[in-house]
Amino acid sequence: MSVRLRPDAVEEAQEALRGHERVLPRGAGTKPALSSPPDGTVTLDVSGLTGIEEYDPEELTFTARAGTSLGEIEAALAENGQYLPFDPPLVAAGATLGGAVAAGTSGPLRYRSGGVRDFILGVRFLDGEGRLVRAGGRVVKNAAGFDLSKLMVGSAGRLGVMVELSFKVFPQPQAWATLTVDCAGLDDALALMGALATAPLDLEALDLEPPGRLWLRLAGLADAMPARLERLEGILERSGERLEGEEEGALWREVRDFAWVAEDAAIVKVALVPKRVPELEAKLEPLAVKRRYGAGANIAWLAWPGERPAQELDELLRSLGLAGVFLTGSPPKPMVGTHRGGAFAQRVKSALDPSGRFPDV
Amino acid sequence: MLLSALGAIYPPARILTSRAELAPYECDALTSFRASPRAVVLAESTDEVVETVRACHRLGVPYVARGSGTSLSGGSLPIEEGIVIALNRLNRILELDPEQRTAVVEPGAINSQVSAAAAPHNLFYAPDPSSQSICSIGGNLAFNAGGAHCLKHGMTSSSVLGAKVVLPDGELVELGGESIEPVGPDWMGLFVGSEGMFGIALEITLRLMPSADRTRTVLSAYESLEAAGNAAAKVVAAGLLPVAMEIMDKLAIEAAEGSVKPGYPEGIEALMIVELEGDHETVDREFEQLLEVLEGAGATEVREPDDDAQRALYWEGRKSAFSAVGWLSPDYIVQDGVVPRTRLGEALAEIGRLSEEHGIRVANVFHAGDGNLHPLILFKGSEEGALERAEELAGEILRMCIRLGGSVTGEHGIAMEKRAFLPEMFGEEDIEMMRRLWRAVDPAQIANRGKMFLPEEELERDEAADPDAAPSSAAVAGTAGPPPGGASSGEARRDTR
Amino acid sequence: MSLPVPIVLRRFTVSLPVLHEIKIHQHEPQAEEMAAAIEQCIHCGFCLPTCPTHVVLGEEMDSPRGRIFLMKEVLEGNMEVEEAAPFIDCCVGCDACVTACPSGVRYDELIVPYRAHAEERRERDWRDRLLRRLIAETLPYPRRFRVAARLGRLARPLRRLAPGRAGAMLDLLPETLPRARPLPELQPADGERRARVALLAGCAQQVLAPEINSATLRVLARNGVEVVVPREQGCCGALDLHSGASARAKAHARRNFRAFPDDVDAVVTNAAGCGSGVREYGLLFKGSAEEGQARELAERTVDVSVFLDELGLKPPPPLPEPLELAYQDACHLAHAQGVRSAPRALLAAIPNVNLLEPDDWELCCGSAGTYNIEKPDVADELGRRKAEALLATGAEAVATGNIGCLTQIEAHLRALGRELPVVHTLQVLDRAYEQASGSPRAASP
Repeated sequence: MSVRLRPDAVEEAQEALRGHERVLPRGAGTKPALSSPPDGTVTLDVSGLTGIEEYDPEELTFTARAGTSLGEIEAALAENGQYLPFDPPLVAAGATLGGAVAAGTSGPLRYRSGGVRDFILGVRFLDGEGRLVRAGGRVVKNAAGFDLSKLMVGSAGRLGVMVELSFKVFPQPQAWATLTVDCAGLDDALALMGALATAPLDLEALDLEPPGRLWLRLAGLADAMPARLERLEGILERSGERLEGEEEGALWREVRDFAWVAEDAAIVKVALVPKRVPELEAKLEPLAVKRRYGAGANIAWLAWPGERPAQELDELLRSLGLAGVFLTGSPPKPMVGTHRGGAFAQRVKSALDPSGRFPDV
Repeated sequence: MLLSALGAIYPPARILTSRAELAPYECDALTSFRASPRAVVLAESTDEVVETVRACHRLGVPYVARGSGTSLSGGSLPIEEGIVIALNRLNRILELDPEQRTAVVEPGAINSQVSAAAAPHNLFYAPDPSSQSICSIGGNLAFNAGGAHCLKHGMTSSSVLGAKVVLPDGELVELGGESIEPVGPDWMGLFVGSEGMFGIALEITLRLMPSADRTRTVLSAYESLEAAGNAAAKVVAAGLLPVAMEIMDKLAIEAAEGSVKPGYPEGIEALMIVELEGDHETVDREFEQLLEVLEGAGATEVREPDDDAQRALYWEGRKSAFSAVGWLSPDYIVQDGVVPRTRLGEALAEIGRLSEEHGIRVANVFHAGDGNLHPLILFKGSEEGALERAEELAGEILRMCIRLGGSVTGEHGIAMEKRAFLPEMFGEEDIEMMRRLWRAVDPAQIANRGKMFLPEEELERDEAADPDAAPSSAAVAGTAGPPPGGASSGEARRDTR
Repeated sequence: MSLPVPIVLRRFTVSLPVLHEIKIHQHEPQAEEMAAAIEQCIHCGFCLPTCPTHVVLGEEMDSPRGRIFLMKEVLEGNMEVEEAAPFIDCCVGCDACVTACPSGVRYDELIVPYRAHAEERRERDWRDRLLRRLIAETLPYPRRFRVAARLGRLARPLRRLAPGRAGAMLDLLPETLPRARPLPELQPADGERRARVALLAGCAQQVLAPEINSATLRVLARNGVEVVVPREQGCCGALDLHSGASARAKAHARRNFRAFPDDVDAVVTNAAGCGSGVREYGLLFKGSAEEGQARELAERTVDVSVFLDELGLKPPPPLPEPLELAYQDACHLAHAQGVRSAPRALLAAIPNVNLLEPDDWELCCGSAGTYNIEKPDVADELGRRKAEALLATGAEAVATGNIGCLTQIEAHLRALGRELPVVHTLQVLDRAYEQASGSPRAASP
């Protein structure tokens, strides 16, 4: 077959796409639940579309091809004291920029700074017919045309094949510090989170490790850190364990890269709000599913045991009206639970992929 | 047909059809276009809105949903043969949950009233367009409104979590949710900024932010506008993350002093307002660093407001600047373009050069932190050809924005005003994709028809008339001169009087 | 292939909606001011949140920018006066939009002459005419008003039979009318004379709350101000002026040209509506032989709070008890005359007064001259909102600078079951001075 399924250039990708009836793109494959093709579908491997095309540190924006590894991007940014505030997971595993967008995955730091959706500026992608489409731009503010860049976030390769992305970035904070606090239990922890929600603290991350451990992360000027930690403890009305330096960074990298998820378990992201946590906890507790709540309990990260069928989680989430997505493992369909979008989603999908070349959303 | 359908939904007092009732709805804050709708309905429940949309779809009547009518791009301009669904009375804040940091509001809710309702909980709604005291959340959502403080907190789309939406055929869908992190494709993100063409958001879930522990504002003065632009770039490059960074030039300062009298330093060429927010330990230290950067960047004077009242006044001067320019000139064009922030100085110098070359005064007041320019082109409409010359200059400024790698709109949207510029910024395939999306979501093309793109049938007609040449301006703008009784093809008429 | 969308670089935000075609020379002398206001409006909408009718009704034609649009259409000859009339009539005339407007549109200089322009071209039905006549012939004349008010009270049992607006008028009448208190023609200064002023006594005020004038005289006297109260003075004409009856307004004004002496430092008013009415004399007489006279009187007329603040208030002693006092801006003081700080400064000078500020200070209370009689529904809603905002401050009493607001706020506080004292700014000062000197004259707030 003459058509390459691992293109190095956009034109090759277009040709490859047009040469097959059923296609699913894949970057580094770190989120196999999203990139494993259903039967009869070929994989379009875009990990060859690499390279940072434009990066002006003073502008705090960059443009890179979709297959560029996040590791390469983070390294380039770090050289200039900058970083990706949405804190994409699975960097060490080799995740790509396009993959992070397609999976819509942000890490613990998204609590304060925002997620992938808040940092993406523009995209070039191939639609289901292989047409190269550009949306958004390279500047930090732009209201021209429909916001297709945002649509690509979480699209899981079902709406288009991204080939190039533009992002804004932030300067790295000087120092980081973490406080872990053990609460009496889930209710106590959630009550404390409720109080923190309206406190002027600028917490970078707020994670809940059930039943009652809170992880609070601060960032900023090193000089200011001791006073801020003290004030934080004052608001919490209890002291916690302080962590700073290299150890602190390593700790959060492990959280972000799911080091706490067992080898044979699947990583599942569920969207929720803190008030829904007790219901979900009540369902998961008896199942012995390891879990962790990120972004102030706006995300539940589950380690769904390999022996449990995805179907079971699908039903569980449906009963709660929550939406989830498998990142790893091999579920029949990555999206589980109750997803919204309805007729709007169908119409948008039909516009971007009229002949159904990509799998259903 | 239409009126009896509306009569089945609304009591007579809430269907406006007389000339005197319709005339005030003929335009929004972009006054160069006017169109008289067939009727205006005053909806008081979301069910009424849904029923209205269904009736419009059934009868093939185009509609525009209108909040406070403050769009600067003609977003809420009526459609001649269509109706206006006025959402002002659907303005309740339905729910406010401080612990989840969310508010659920109706589309007519006023931007600043959401913040006011959240304030007792030490929370606020971040996007702050200059018209925040009156603009509605529904309109903010439709146009992805920005504001001075979106430098740190993002545009409206970063603050809209979910919405119940009625699609243009009357189908109800829910997009997004309550969580700040969506799962699956970001349908909500696509809907925000779709300029009313994808439907009407009926119940909107907003993200609220905790109010800062400390806010410090500094006003710095410069010997030239370019120097101010370069200072802004230096602040960004220094790694400081201000919540807002705004520049005003001499003319804009003069206008503000004529209007709200903020008491800015006298005799300066440009000023910049920079605001830092956060916990006090950090802000106080960053403030010192900021002062160093500003002084290093050539500020001739640096001033911190004495108290909250003075800070509010500094901001009022900035936020009223568009309207206040009325003090300087009988007529003016408000522009909205974006350039990379490292090229601000260059862009401003170019605007100055163009202004001189054309012999037209340009006032500049803009969001420097994100490179979002708002040149105000001053002219006297009563002078023969003055409007045309001003428009030519405005066009050149926009083209410069594109050339420098920016955008033709940062926050005002395309709608009527920039329809012709979209194809300068995007390629054929890009525009075609947007049109395909539009056709898929609204096959009947009734939702805010004529905004962002020309309606399909007009395109076909224009192409049939002359397939090789771009149609004349008359085809787009309506004929020049006093408007005829009803503009052909439902296009809004240009107010050229 | 040609691009699917035409490239026409001709569409921009031109911020001037109302490039009017008003033939200025064909209209009254005030057409220039009217045209200027129309021309200056850029339709930005910043006036909407402070417009009481827009806040209550949520309709574009009941907003300042909507009405400007309508007045333009009428003046241009594109619309009949009667078509626009319902929405023009709905304007309370509070001038809050003038304060809010960043472009400096003088809506006041448009609506007032416009109403006169329109009135000459309108056909009102007999009930309308009767009601307007009734108001115009009684309110400005203290003796007639006193009689009418008594009759009105007698008519209360028939309230249910009275149609909307006449009923509203009955509702506003107080339970009891205070005894008439004739004012002295000259009130000498206590001690050394620092200034000499003439007092515009206000007509409805003399009937409804004569103690305001008494308190004003005493406070002025204590501050070394001699006050003349010209016998010949009449109504300022504001009611007629604001309802488009410019001929009657002029007649009132002429009487005042003659009545007020030249040998005073100022003409002071203690009713915001009267003060703003006099200050409009210049525009009213524009282009006539009396214009100079009119402008001269307008220029030397000043609210009593401003006069005292500029003169320098003699430090008042504390009240017998500390007072949590909300200050309510009267529209015709705050918006029409731009007076906000002077009354606050006077009240804050009383050592144990804690001044409170209600939310939405810009919003009219719904009184607005005779508005609460003409549009009772809107006025009621505004009154309720104002009363609630005032109660939310936790105040024990309310001070304001206008008799209309005073009556309206009292009525709506009463309707909410919270009868806080509502008094004039000068009454609070009076009480501080008088209580300290052991005089029994001061009204107790």
